[in-house]
Amino acid sequence: MAEFSGHLSLQAVARADRRTVLAHQSFRAPYHLSKPYWDADAGVLIVQIVNPTAGMLAGDRLESTITVAAGANLLVTTPSASRVFKMHSGHAECRQHFAIAAGAWLEFMPEPLVPHRGSSYHQITTVAVAQGGGLFFVDPWLSGRVGHGEAWLWDRLQLELTLHVADQLTLRERFDQSGLEAQALATWSGSGPNPCFANAILIPPNGNEHPPSPPWREALADLHRDGLWLGTSALRGGGWSLKLIAPSSLLLRQGLRDTRRILGNHFPQLTADPRKL
Amino acid sequence: MSAAAFSPPITVSPTASSPPGAATAAWVVGLLQASDSFYPTGSYAHSFGLEGLVQAGVIRDRPSLQQFLELSALPALRHVELPLTAHAWRAFATSDWPRLGELCHLASALKSAREARLASENIGRQRAELTASLHHAPIAQEYLRRATAHAWPHAAPISAALEGHVLGAPLPAVLAGVTYAALAALLAAAMKILRLGQNAAQALLTAALARTPSLIAAAEETPLAQIGWFNPWLDIAAARHESANARMFIS
Repeated sequence: MAEFSGHLSLQAVARADRRTVLAHQSFRAPYHLSKPYWDADAGVLIVQIVNPTAGMLAGDRLESTITVAAGANLLVTTPSASRVFKMHSGHAECRQHFAIAAGAWLEFMPEPLVPHRGSSYHQITTVAVAQGGGLFFVDPWLSGRVGHGEAWLWDRLQLELTLHVADQLTLRERFDQSGLEAQALATWSGSGPNPCFANAILIPPNGNEHPPSPPWREALADLHRDGLWLGTSALRGGGWSLKLIAPSSLLLRQGLRDTRRILGNHFPQLTADPRKL
Repeated sequence: MSAAAFSPPITVSPTASSPPGAATAAWVVGLLQASDSFYPTGSYAHSFGLEGLVQAGVIRDRPSLQQFLELSALPALRHVELPLTAHAWRAFATSDWPRLGELCHLASALKSAREARLASENIGRQRAELTASLHHAPIAQEYLRRATAHAWPHAAPISAALEGHVLGAPLPAVLAGVTYAALAALLAAAMKILRLGQNAAQALLTAALARTPSLIAAAEETPLAQIGWFNPWLDIAAARHESANARMFIS
């Protein structure tokens, strides 16, 4: 079976009329782009990255670079879950880079990653936000094909995230566990047999302003109920870490919708509908 | 009272004519001192996320606490605290200041929960200042000067490496000291939060410490790029602990 060496490069810029457009785009299978949609109400360009193949296989190497220039507002999403299939050897790798300029905004809100039985996946994410740039980055993933009752059967899942804000290392997270290791932790926590996760970062576009209790924090804290775990904490140097754990994919989806709705009262770019396309 | 006010200075450095056993004894007693709850780093005021997990109902008793040690505390030592200490110990040995600055920032960035990050940095600052004042070590003074000048976070693993270096302790011993101090602090906090007696706490500590040799061996080989590990339940509990209505510990 052919191995993919996928490539995606996007650059969003603001036109003179303040509308965001893609000044540059290039991609190679398995990446494909749907036609962008300009949400005039939110002032955000919505771009959907489509993977027309069934999912990732051993040896696949994907690399993407998304840059957002000053004044541009971009929402990048995907129409369906990213599946990582069973591998007899090797692993799939995805490197994704994001750069957000001062005065720019990026929301990255893909559908969840689904690691299948016997899969091995390594995702390396680097994000650089210039002083005054804004970001809402979400990395959701499921414990497996939970709809089929399959969970924690992947061999290895590596999720690395490195965030720089104003050229300062702000967050470095590295998750590297086998399905069995992660299952033991989940069982201990009592989150049910198939918990689903979302790791999110919010960098408010107003720079270093990060009071201990911004107005949206208490409303988000109230979402922590009915099995949904949600915590927010200030990152070093500015910005926020948001983590969600839900006992089902439906509750995770609802938790993320509610999170966007609450934050949308303070960050109007988050009123754009990722499912508009 | 600040650490600098202590007088006369305490030194554990052997003299040039000391026999080899005396040299070993010097750093052993130094590490014992630094690992003791009597050592005023402020760690007694922290539960390192434990209280948040108790409030969340995840840790309820001895078995769930034991699982926490096995599934979260030991992996965090293995993949974060011990490798950071090892890299810093080597950097102090060669006065590699750019690397030490990088490690300080990395150690801070690895903690997404603010309480956990501040706990490490407050304990780290106190330990570095104690090292400088108690041992009058020029390298400790220089570390504090550079950390202040360049706004390096005083991460606890870096300060542990600094103290180990100043004491002349070999790396495995320094890592063993970090492991003991971390586990003992957790269990001391657990005894205040849970129905857990001293003997039960010591049994849990003994079981966890039995893993120390393998943890140290693995941590010593961990490259910088592979440092990192997190428990999302712990991070969320720590985040929610920040605004808890009642709490006994700072973190």
